[in-house]
Amino acid sequence: MTGAGRTQKAGRAMDDRFRASDADRDRAAALLRDHFAAGRLDAAELDERLAMALNAKTFGELHRVLADLPEAGPAQQQPNRLPPDRGRLERGYRCLLACYPAAYRRVHEEEMLAVLMTAAPHGSRRPGIGEAVDLIWGAVRVRCQPSRRSAEPGWRDPLAVVSILLPLIVFITTAVRVAGPLHAILDGAPSPFRDMFPLWILNQFTGPVALLALSLLRPQRFATRATVTVLIGLTYLAYLATLSYLAGGPDPGVVSMIAGGPYIMLALGLQMAAVTASPGLRRGLQLVTWKQAALTVIAAVAVAITSYPWTLAVISVICAAMGLTSSRGRWLLVLLAIPLGPYVAVPYTYVIGWGPHMRLYVTWLMSPGALGQLGQACVLAAVFLGVFVVAACRESLRSRQLARPSR
Amino acid sequence: MTELPLREPTFLILTALAVGPQHGYGIMTDVAQISDGRVRLRAGTLYAALNRLVNDGLVEFDREEIVDARLRRYYRLTPEGARCLQQEVDRMRSTTTVAARRLRLIGGTQ
Repeated sequence: MTGAGRTQKAGRAMDDRFRASDADRDRAAALLRDHFAAGRLDAAELDERLAMALNAKTFGELHRVLADLPEAGPAQQQPNRLPPDRGRLERGYRCLLACYPAAYRRVHEEEMLAVLMTAAPHGSRRPGIGEAVDLIWGAVRVRCQPSRRSAEPGWRDPLAVVSILLPLIVFITTAVRVAGPLHAILDGAPSPFRDMFPLWILNQFTGPVALLALSLLRPQRFATRATVTVLIGLTYLAYLATLSYLAGGPDPGVVSMIAGGPYIMLALGLQMAAVTASPGLRRGLQLVTWKQAALTVIAAVAVAITSYPWTLAVISVICAAMGLTSSRGRWLLVLLAIPLGPYVAVPYTYVIGWGPHMRLYVTWLMSPGALGQLGQACVLAAVFLGVFVVAACRESLRSRQLARPSR
Repeated sequence: MTELPLREPTFLILTALAVGPQHGYGIMTDVAQISDGRVRLRAGTLYAALNRLVNDGLVEFDREEIVDARLRRYYRLTPEGARCLQQEVDRMRSTTTVAARRLRLIGGTQ
């Protein structure tokens, strides 16, 4: 017997002349709405009966409102005669619900499943395409909605870690990238950077220093942070323009540096977001582990030296393995992958080769080689996605196993 | 924060809850009724909207029931939600009034 049915029965056992309380009227109204949801009443009848129920003085009046409606709750008319394919349908819906954040699922999974199963057309064996798309889109929206409880670790904690690891990554990649030409200059070999050596070094390290400053100083006001970020970006671009002018045209080396521009901009944007939304450097230092820091350093060095997408794929799997166990780890992985991403889109020669075959970035993008790179980038994205899905499934499986004994 | 004008699903969900606490499926059927079957909310859309409305403090949990071994959670309008719906109704009413008056001026029906 359901809660709704019980209250109704208890109500009817009472003498019709007894005066009804507010709670009695509310219960009757709730029952009416349930019957409306089940299709036994239309909107006009519901409004009419609700008015009667809410103005009822005695149990007799309440009973008259409910007189021609069956006693049990609306979902009672199909007790335990679920056809076998309902189980399959339910599994299908559970798979889709795995797209929602774990914290959200803990509260809403059973409730949403009930709604989905009730709304599913009779005899359907698996979720419809429209329903699936709607659920996935709903999951995206729920994930993007700010949570009222700031303690929700989904987004903010990884950002605190990112604000520490990101300057590290950019420092290392920049240092490795600078090392080659620097060595050549010190050896006295001809280099496009010889005449503008100090300016060039300054340019290369503006980005990483700015990232570190943002995370250390953590300006209180959003306007300050935004202004600082934009100023750093503009300074960087001004350097690039000056260098390109001094080099007297699109020199291959300078072009490769310009290709690194989006990388620094992306990193700046991410750092800005991390500093804005993270709970602070102290929290980040509490969370970051030696394993994470070491793997990040290894990943950054490997990517900077080879700049080869497959290296990145392997590293992403390692990082994923490290972050698999929690949604926090997965967010961290995705966030850190953002600034590493442009390396995939830049030719291998970007770091190790300073050869003359590298022309303007745009020309390269038009070439057939670019298509191959694009394909590799797609494979990389697929690897990332696969790891992500496996992690999500594992977590949902575990949370269900944890939930089972309590049910 | 929820801003006016409300998007149609949001408006219909608030309207559905204005009659009293309802559960998810109840809101879906009610919204279809209110809109003459024009708007059929799916579960993903409904729960994303509800999540936002709960976060914004316009809607809150009412109670839970187990019906036919399935969890059913009821939602209700908060006073702030009722105020928001009222503002939207006032806003719509003022524009429809103007539209109706102007239609009368050019000799439309009514």
